[in-house]
Amino acid sequence: MTPSLASQLSAIVGSRHVLERAAETFVYTADGLPGYRKQPTLVVLPGTRDEVIAIVRLLASVGVPWVPRGAGTGLSGGALAEGVVLLGLHRLKQIISIDPENRTATVEPGVVNALLSRATASHGLHYAPDPSSQAACTIGGNIAENAGGPHCLKYGVTMNHVLALTVVLPDGSVTTLGSADGEVDGYDLVGTFVGSEGCFGVALDATVRLTRNPEAIRTLLADFNSIDEAAQAVSAIVATGIVPAALEMMDRATIVAVEASIYAAGYPVDAAAVLLIELDGLTSGIEPDVFRIDAICRTHGARTVRIARDDAERARLWQGRKKAFGAMGRIAPHLIVQDAVVPRTKLPEVMAAIGRIAAAHRVTVCNVFHAGDGNLHPNIAYNAGDPDESERVHEAMRLIMKLCVDAGGSVTGEHGIGLDKLEYMPLIFSDETLSAMCRLRDVFDPHRMSNPGKVVPMRSCREWAGLPATRHAAVHA
Amino acid sequence: MLAEPERYAAQSLAHVVDAVRAARDETAPLRIVGSGTWLEAGHGVRAARSLDLSGLTGIVEYVPGDLTLTAHAGTTLAEIAEATSAHGQWLPLDPFGDPRGTLGATLATASAGPLGGSVGLPRDVTVGISFVTGDGDVVNGGGRVVKNVAGFDLVRLTIGAWGTLGVITQATVRLRARPEVDETVAFTLPVERDALSTLLSTVRAASVEPLAAELLSPRCAEQVGLGQQPAMLVRLAGNPVSVLHQRTVLERLADCKPTPGDAWSRLRRSDPPQASVVRISRRPSELARLWSAAMTTPGINAHATLSRGVVRLRLTSLDPNLLASFDASDARIIERVPADWRNALGASRKASDPISRRMRDAFDPARILNRGILGEDSR
Repeated sequence: MTPSLASQLSAIVGSRHVLERAAETFVYTADGLPGYRKQPTLVVLPGTRDEVIAIVRLLASVGVPWVPRGAGTGLSGGALAEGVVLLGLHRLKQIISIDPENRTATVEPGVVNALLSRATASHGLHYAPDPSSQAACTIGGNIAENAGGPHCLKYGVTMNHVLALTVVLPDGSVTTLGSADGEVDGYDLVGTFVGSEGCFGVALDATVRLTRNPEAIRTLLADFNSIDEAAQAVSAIVATGIVPAALEMMDRATIVAVEASIYAAGYPVDAAAVLLIELDGLTSGIEPDVFRIDAICRTHGARTVRIARDDAERARLWQGRKKAFGAMGRIAPHLIVQDAVVPRTKLPEVMAAIGRIAAAHRVTVCNVFHAGDGNLHPNIAYNAGDPDESERVHEAMRLIMKLCVDAGGSVTGEHGIGLDKLEYMPLIFSDETLSAMCRLRDVFDPHRMSNPGKVVPMRSCREWAGLPATRHAAVHA
Repeated sequence: MLAEPERYAAQSLAHVVDAVRAARDETAPLRIVGSGTWLEAGHGVRAARSLDLSGLTGIVEYVPGDLTLTAHAGTTLAEIAEATSAHGQWLPLDPFGDPRGTLGATLATASAGPLGGSVGLPRDVTVGISFVTGDGDVVNGGGRVVKNVAGFDLVRLTIGAWGTLGVITQATVRLRARPEVDETVAFTLPVERDALSTLLSTVRAASVEPLAAELLSPRCAEQVGLGQQPAMLVRLAGNPVSVLHQRTVLERLADCKPTPGDAWSRLRRSDPPQASVVRISRRPSELARLWSAAMTTPGINAHATLSRGVVRLRLTSLDPNLLASFDASDARIIERVPADWRNALGASRKASDPISRRMRDAFDPARILNRGILGEDSR
């Protein structure tokens, strides 16, 4: 008799790191986006790269698909496994090396984003992409999602910061993509792998670029009587040529939620919108830019512009922003979050239209987002147990997404497609383009072993129908 | 002597699709041509026909407030510069060569100039791309917004693929607003390696954020109008206070001379007409070693990007001593060389790994697009 899959996996990682019982696997049935629950067959938690490779090879040999997962903070349902194996990578958390002179670090995929910046602080360096979940999310997860964050406005998203990857492909082969040691010829395989949402394999290590800590940071909070004025101010700031490190907007609904929570940041609750603007760079020359941005905000109707006096005040202003989704948890048990992007000149009209859609559907949309690059996060806290409310919420969200696409936008700026946005893919991509994405996936994972069913709707893959159905059946054997 | 290849002049996307489908159906490989400035790059394209995109030109959409621009592949960088400068904006792509080079070719070859050390890498400025696969499918990756993770990344896939995964027909790029002040200074570089190494480390660590910083060999400095000394050319941009501060910092480190900004356009056009071009690189901390190795060859024409650690050699003959002065493990990228230099240079074959081969199978199964351009084996 062949040993069970669980015992074969236990032979690799030890039985302690193979979870089968529902009580143990429960935490892995959801990610950062409430609303989806998927039950993996089992969860396996390797502690070394060799264990990861052995697991992937075993699963390839028995034909059982798997879903890679970092900290599970994703907002797209991308790290959920239904009836397949969930491969948790958070135990691989070694910072392998730091090269201060060349400003790079090589890390395992489970290293927590914020801990990398902490570890490099003594060299005056940090890892620039800073998703709001950075206290928990992992570099591996960031690479899978091509994660962004407020400071990506100036510094770029994950893709711009990854130099090289060692990956295990779903067939179990191990290969190096890119290089931190000189230029690489040929296809940009690093750029192609980053953001592949776990569908191309698993990164065993990553060499990432570190960024010099800015000499000076100035954080401004400007409050407005209307969202429109705030949105106009954003457009005017973008047009100056000054690239703020971050340029974030929060509307009244968000401000009220934050101020009522333990994350209260001192935002004025009577404002229709606030802009949180951060400038950084060389000490000499930062004040003229601060002065100019301050003046632009006031010209566009800002009631007050407050400049954080010290690090403590700055941290408090940011905490309200970064924990805004958490603050929504007090309002209602469920939260739906979108991640659409619109051209920046369309912000005023899109924000106005979102307000109209919310009113028509009797829902409260909270807007907290990366205004500087047009990346919206309209979100609605609601009770999924109320069918009428659920219906209205989902219809409003569908209309908001269509609105953003019609404005020339994208359906996701940093959260990824995962499961959550699969249905929106045909809104922005033609059949030929979706088919090209399927072919690209097949280059890395021809048997669709890694994170099956995510990113590209199955029906878009011309060849998909030909796949043997027996593959998934093997899990249940 | 080969006969002049049959030439298709594409004026529209439909023309490109027709030409690619015909080539696929007849298994008649195509050479993809922009403005034609790279035709003799020694890449050995084996093609019976050429697909000329220089007529597929024009800006499709430009909304200055969005700082994005969408243009057909045959649009020249010069045209884009003209359109954007009217709004105080620019596209920070400054590849070496003729400014009549096209957007499509710049992206297909991932060509970067001195700005590549800060804001000007094609992979970082491109947000959307349209291309026609070897099967004649029209594919659109990315979009027109500056932040986008929808689906697998077909933009990064195509940039630097030398047209082998698809014919780029259109692209959307992000622009920048022109800085208030944009000035250039130059100073003489020490010849001795340790002194150079110290200076480069000091500049890297200094309170400056150059838009570009390029080392020039005496020959190259002369072409740019800086006399016959090895020199560093530094471009500082920002508000007046910031630029003044940065210049002051540099003046404390070296004897800086104000230099007209057109030094950069002279550098960009200074590739000798018949020169072969090879780039040698390693991690940036090793630049002093690479540079000193290059400088052991008298009269060498070379320049290097400080922040990237890339030395670009412009050679009129192949000197074995020059190559021997680098480590065997230093990365060697061939831009353009005669075919018989390739083995001597010890450059690896591009895109010969299994993933890259499967990539070509997926996007150009008949191997009709720029066949041979990556130095790959014929099938």
